Amino acid sequence: MRARWALGALGALLAAWPWLAPRYFVFLASLILVNAVVALGLNLLSGYTNQLSFGHAGFLAIGAYTAALLTLHAPAVPVVATLAAAGALTAVVGLAFGVPCLRLSGLYLAMATLAFGFVITEAILNLDGLTRGADGLRVPVARLGGWALATDTARYYLVAGVTVLLVAAAANLARTRTGRALLAIRESEIAAQASGVPVARYKTIAFGVSAFYTGVAGGLFAFIVGFLSPDAFDVFMSVDFVVMIIVGGLGSVPGSIVGAAVVTVLHDSLAGFQNYRPLVFGLILVACMLFMPGGIAGFGARLARR
Amino acid sequence: MTTAALVHVIVSGLATGSVYALMALSLVIIYNATRTLNFAQGEMLMISTFVAWSVQQTFALPLGVILPVAVLAAAAVALVFERLVIRRAIGATHWDVLIITLGLSLALRAVAGLAWSHDEFPFPSFFPGRPIALGPVRVAPVSLGIIGASLALMLALAALFRWTRLGRAMRAVAQNQRAARLMGISVERVYSLAWVLAAVVGAIAGVLVAPVIFLSSKMGLIVINGFTAAVLGGFGSMPGAVLGGMLLGVLENLAPLYLPSGIRYSVPFIVLIAILLVRPAGLLGRIEPRKV
Amino acid sequence: MRSVMCSLVAVLTLGASSPATAQPGVTDREIVLGCSNSFSGPLAFTGEQATKFGVDLYFKVVNDAGGIHGRRVRTVYYDDGYKPQDAVANTRKLVEQDRIFAVIAPQGTPPVVATMEYLEENRVPLLFPFQGSPVTRGRKYVFSGMTLYDRQAKMMIDYLAGQRKYRTFGVLYQDDEYGKAFLTAFEKDLGRHDLKLTAAESVKRGATDVSAQIAKLQAARPQVTFLVLTPGPGAQALKERQKIGWTDTVMVSSGPLTDERYLALAADAAEGVEGLSLWPDPLTSDLPGVKAYRAAMQKYFGKNEPNRYSLSGYFAAMLFTEGARRAGKNLTRESLVTALEGIKGWDSGILPPITIGPDHETQRQGFWVRVEKGRFKPLTDWLTSD
Repeated sequence: MRARWALGALGALLAAWPWLAPRYFVFLASLILVNAVVALGLNLLSGYTNQLSFGHAGFLAIGAYTAALLTLHAPAVPVVATLAAAGALTAVVGLAFGVPCLRLSGLYLAMATLAFGFVITEAILNLDGLTRGADGLRVPVARLGGWALATDTARYYLVAGVTVLLVAAAANLARTRTGRALLAIRESEIAAQASGVPVARYKTIAFGVSAFYTGVAGGLFAFIVGFLSPDAFDVFMSVDFVVMIIVGGLGSVPGSIVGAAVVTVLHDSLAGFQNYRPLVFGLILVACMLFMPGGIAGFGARLARR
Repeated sequence: MTTAALVHVIVSGLATGSVYALMALSLVIIYNATRTLNFAQGEMLMISTFVAWSVQQTFALPLGVILPVAVLAAAAVALVFERLVIRRAIGATHWDVLIITLGLSLALRAVAGLAWSHDEFPFPSFFPGRPIALGPVRVAPVSLGIIGASLALMLALAALFRWTRLGRAMRAVAQNQRAARLMGISVERVYSLAWVLAAVVGAIAGVLVAPVIFLSSKMGLIVINGFTAAVLGGFGSMPGAVLGGMLLGVLENLAPLYLPSGIRYSVPFIVLIAILLVRPAGLLGRIEPRKV
Repeated sequence: MRSVMCSLVAVLTLGASSPATAQPGVTDREIVLGCSNSFSGPLAFTGEQATKFGVDLYFKVVNDAGGIHGRRVRTVYYDDGYKPQDAVANTRKLVEQDRIFAVIAPQGTPPVVATMEYLEENRVPLLFPFQGSPVTRGRKYVFSGMTLYDRQAKMMIDYLAGQRKYRTFGVLYQDDEYGKAFLTAFEKDLGRHDLKLTAAESVKRGATDVSAQIAKLQAARPQVTFLVLTPGPGAQALKERQKIGWTDTVMVSSGPLTDERYLALAADAAEGVEGLSLWPDPLTSDLPGVKAYRAAMQKYFGKNEPNRYSLSGYFAAMLFTEGARRAGKNLTRESLVTALEGIKGWDSGILPPITIGPDHETQRQGFWVRVEKGRFKPLTDWLTSD
């Protein structure tokens, strides 16, 4: 009962935010939501099937550039379709990458994803006839029907709407057969395989869905940020996403959102102390692994049990 | 492309390749003993090189102190970190240690930026800059120096592992931890020693390569080349690490000559992906069957 | 639960209610300026020098003397690491959250050009960026801070092809707007002398290894090789050239590159290198303004060595102060723009007299230098770019 009240209050806050907060904080809230979607996608891969990825910035880049280029060259396409296309293309790339990597074990996979992230940004950089390469690409304003999403508030509502849908889908995943299979794989891949769960198939699905989520987030990211350059989608951005799910709690949906919020706000408030930022994040990672391995979600669960 | 120019390029490639080989060796040393990957290997190398350089500059000491100070600094950082942090996570999976070392690498890089700024600094070279002429071919002394020093170090390591008690203990722990413990080997001590040894190798690599790539807080990224070299040669195999390193160095130097120049930075990543997809065991490794 | 909600709403409305100021960044007591610059990455040194030891140095002098019409100047900086996307995000934060009056002395062609449209839309002045892309010319709220690249190229080609009679030219350029602006300008100016570029090789922004490019350029045997790079790869190019023994070409650095920093990284490989210098020698010049700069540096940052980057930042702050003084007590963004446009024949004691016209170009100067014994020795007087 209390959970439903909390959810309702959160929903009201979400809906009313642009009326309560100054312009910059509306942008920041949009960014938190976008990062939450990426964290959800990453958690699907890493939290459930133990395939840790250090290359998700690459997926974000694919989604962002796809959405930006589609809006630039085909402005008649409604923004929702553009986002879906961004997600779909990213999912295809994710599958193309994930399938051959199925037989790689944890460590090798992690390094392969790191390499993947880099190769993607290099490709975007070199396709400069299309993407304007190192100079960067200005993202045109998104259009919903005839209405141009030209303000931070308008874009915020687009982001919030899409995020709520994707969060609901992820939360429901646990109840489906796919969700249960993923949970089984997380507990013990070998036991799951022995129980008849087609591990390879589900790991592939996880890759695809994770990429899809991140691709859609990439499209939203492009619209709210307004300008893209490949050098921003570097390994440090991928590491930021990893920090989000570690801090939030591996395999937890609310954890992904909380982790995204914590990291985004921290990242922004340390903008004047950029030199300290990696130190803070590094120490957070170490402290989390040593003292709070379940992340905030795990901590919250422990509190709830008391 | 004249033969002389080609030889020069290949020798340069072997030089950077030797440094990658040393990097790979330090990763493999830790992995073999502890079954974990140290993401922070590059940053540890970077910090120890910076400390050595600072000490030499501040106290106006002769260049010869750089190497021993770097080695000492590296050993100290490794020991502190291994004892304070890694030990605590002794029951953890290799995931957790990976994440912890990732956190450490971020923190170390930030500390370097705070202490010395994120700028690039010229690093004194022990070798003169003017090229040596061997017939029509011109070779840079720094390249020859790096290759020579690296080979000497690799031979020393090989001797250590084959003929000393410590080396045998480390090999025993790498093969079977429980059996080693039953034989009276202190696994904890081997862990610490593996970290220190790896850090020392890294420090030497750092001092060798800094004159070529400039001393800066992002020097640590060389760990990616080291990892690729190790995988290329067969992760876990020391001769493989050496072979992989040399090969990667030469490939990196040859690729931009025959392909668009920008490809250089993609080479380690493309090689990594290619090897993992085609032959994950690497050139000299073997796939070990997983016991369930 | 309800109490939590109430306090949450209260906190939010409190935080959200910021009084709408008539002019952002200007109060009775202070003016707030800022920029997104490089404090990490390939231009970290130049960024830090231009802002913390350049702009801030001059404003320290101004603030200690009472400020501009009684207002102290405060600066806010964020790091973009020479990445355009981060520059846009930082600039948005500066304008919307820190509410700066104007952007002063940001650095790097791609980052600055990326932020231009946003700043124009929001009518925020972009003052004296440390870059020279011609796309910044003639915009209402933008005032250039460096001799623009097409002027630099014209001076370089006219001097080398016209006066020194060189015929074959190669170029090693950074593969983005900075490098490509020079490339296009070189081709155009060489065309005026009935010449063409013999060879052109590019380097990715952020890369340091240029050995392959130098090898390819050597094969084309140009008499002059231009370097349109940042200090790291620039110095590497010189060292690589020395390693392969390529002596029969004159290396020439572009305006932004011609500085002690790049010399320091290249060490003895820089002997004989020439370039276009945009500033008088900060260490030895006797010009009154440069001496004042040295005195201020000695007083406030005694351990920091003078260089052309901090001098350019110092000058940017000086030019802003002149414009703000002329705009008077009623300082608005519009009045600043008008005041700056009215500057004619102003002597700063550092550069030739400044006249700002409708194209909003504040600098048009440069002179030729050659490296001898580790320092730049002037070979000509101020060259003309008109």
